[in-house]
Amino acid sequence: MERDIEQLNAALNAIKVLRSNVRSVFESVSNGLRADHGDEGKETKFIYELQELLTTVNNNLRDVENAVANLTPQAGPFSLGNTTYLSQETTQERQALYGQLVNSYKWTDKIREYSAVAGNILAANSFNKTYKTYSTAKRRKTTTSNHNVAPEVIENLISSIDRLFPDVTFTPNRPLVPNPIIQVSLGRVLKAIIAFKGLMIEWVVVKAHAESNDLWTESRYRVFKRITENCHAAMCHFHSPLMPELAVRSFMHWFHSYITLFSAPCKRCGNHLNSNLPPTWRDFRSLEPYHEECK
Amino acid sequence: MGVTILTQFALENKTGPQTVEVLSKRICALGAVQQGHFLVDCETYTSVPQLGHQRTVHVLHNSEQPATVFSLLDNGTKITALATDGLFDLLMMKMSQFYTSKKQTKAESKGLRYEIGDFYVKLGTVTVSSNYKGILVEVEYRPCVVPAMCWDLLKEFLQGFLGLTAPTNPPTYLQNRMQEVYTPIDTIHQYLEHFTMFRKSPGIYRN
Amino acid sequence: MSLPGNAMDSLSAALKCNIIPNQEYLLQGSVLDQYVEVLLHRLRGLCDNVDSGPESFHDHEICFSLRIPNTAASTPMPMSIFSLRVRRALDVSDTPYQLRYIGQQELGDKNRPTVVRSSIDMACSSTILEFLTELGCRIEFEYIARGYMFRKGRMKITVSKIFKMGGNKPESVEPISQSYLVELSVLAPSGQDAIGEDMRIFAEQLRPLVQLEKIDYKRLGNIM
Repeated sequence: MERDIEQLNAALNAIKVLRSNVRSVFESVSNGLRADHGDEGKETKFIYELQELLTTVNNNLRDVENAVANLTPQAGPFSLGNTTYLSQETTQERQALYGQLVNSYKWTDKIREYSAVAGNILAANSFNKTYKTYSTAKRRKTTTSNHNVAPEVIENLISSIDRLFPDVTFTPNRPLVPNPIIQVSLGRVLKAIIAFKGLMIEWVVVKAHAESNDLWTESRYRVFKRITENCHAAMCHFHSPLMPELAVRSFMHWFHSYITLFSAPCKRCGNHLNSNLPPTWRDFRSLEPYHEECK
Repeated sequence: MGVTILTQFALENKTGPQTVEVLSKRICALGAVQQGHFLVDCETYTSVPQLGHQRTVHVLHNSEQPATVFSLLDNGTKITALATDGLFDLLMMKMSQFYTSKKQTKAESKGLRYEIGDFYVKLGTVTVSSNYKGILVEVEYRPCVVPAMCWDLLKEFLQGFLGLTAPTNPPTYLQNRMQEVYTPIDTIHQYLEHFTMFRKSPGIYRN
Repeated sequence: MSLPGNAMDSLSAALKCNIIPNQEYLLQGSVLDQYVEVLLHRLRGLCDNVDSGPESFHDHEICFSLRIPNTAASTPMPMSIFSLRVRRALDVSDTPYQLRYIGQQELGDKNRPTVVRSSIDMACSSTILEFLTELGCRIEFEYIARGYMFRKGRMKITVSKIFKMGGNKPESVEPISQSYLVELSVLAPSGQDAIGEDMRIFAEQLRPLVQLEKIDYKRLGNIM
């Protein structure tokens, strides 16, 4: 018995090795010519590599065959022990087959559907196996970027701004970890959905509280559409590649001044309304409210 | 749903349709676009004497919220508001043994609805059991939900086309609720306030 | 753009076209606690919402009534009673309350397979409790129902445990019996009696686990 199990283990191991090496053959074939094959006689080098891999596979296959030959097949039926009674169990709750059946049915159904779609797409677009071009041109010098920052840095920045303004609520939401989308509620006045690219503000949409949190649809109200435009202008104005944190901070500071959107009259004309809109412009330095026409 | 202000409006020596025409000319000159019609109606039911002290249920419909029935229950000291599905009317019919409708007090305000920027303006002609009573002007500023924040702005807008007769203080109903978030039921409360005034007035009510 | 119609006019038009679901077709039964799992399993197989599993609910229902003494001598009952039920979900917040009027059981044909009674069902705001109290209603009884809901076409099947209210805390409730209440109901506009037959056939499939029957409330001596 002990010996049987040992042999079985050896056979399983041999299969594992075989599978792994077959995989590396395919990997090498699909990658095609690589940069490390050099320039001279790259084809021959590639063929040699392939040949070597195939020999290994051949050897592995022989090992598997040997291991299998060593196994002694069990005489007579397997004894399943208590599990044989499983088919006689009538209370379905205990074997929980029902839910699994439904799940696996749904799963295979989905697979069929996806594979049909994928098959169509693949048939329509034949592609090259090697799509990388290996130019010998120098790699572009890496520039220090504010796109590629650790998530913690952004996290810290957002929470530090959050502490700065008590009447502003930040709700972060991270579908893509390094590029968070945050929802900024300015009191009960408005909310903004801000998408970051690293430490850079990438997109801002301003909406009413009752509207959806979708990043792509604009507000249905004219006043918030106007503020969205102004936010885009401010986002470019405050952008500074060398001090990205400062840029975000000053943007937020400026944005916070909209808390008086409906209540503050225009600094120049002294009125609330101009062409039926409240003062939608805030000066970048003084943060004072102006109508678009008065600034 | 934004903050809404309801106010009565009248012009000396002008009939109802004439007043509405003057107002609609003014609002269109400011750049408003007509956007269909509106209707707010109110039916009042009173409890039968066997039910103890008298209570009144005002059932209101607003075409802005067509699937909702608003009911305001007045027990003499306070008003309880309720919003339900449209079937509430059917329920009131079933309750006819306990609450009877006073048909002669059915009030409604209907007319044209205008859109101007983020504002909605509604010029309503009020009738109580088909008798003309006056004009109600409704102005809604949709982006803002807190009355206190945009009252000055609304006041300026109202003055812009109602002239000197525009209200200088928020409606009495709203005065205690300036810091709260505005909901459709607040508009209904304002309508009821005005309908009650119109019902009490003998002829044409003047502000 | 058309004029907005008067709400009462459109309601009476809807009544005339008979599109308002104001009739409830109902069968009731019960199942002992120890067999409820088997019943649930059978229902899972029979009903529509197979893959999502049964939908659970945990509701608090309060029955209110308005009553005045009847002055007309011709009526058999000394009191006019009008009852209304309010239901609210305890497990989901932010759902509207439900207000429900259930009328007298229609006598009609003895051979009708189900109970038929008029019913008006609507969602309402949470001020309903205060509203009804101010209206002059008083609380008749209240209970908590916890269980599962299934759908089969237009039919709704609920399997629920009924609890007595114990004090003010929702945790300190005690079940009123050792069994679950099973209800099969459809809300439909009046005159759609064919649905009764569908319900009878469906109820047949649950036998002998649970006997769904039309219950005559008058015989139970209940003042419904």
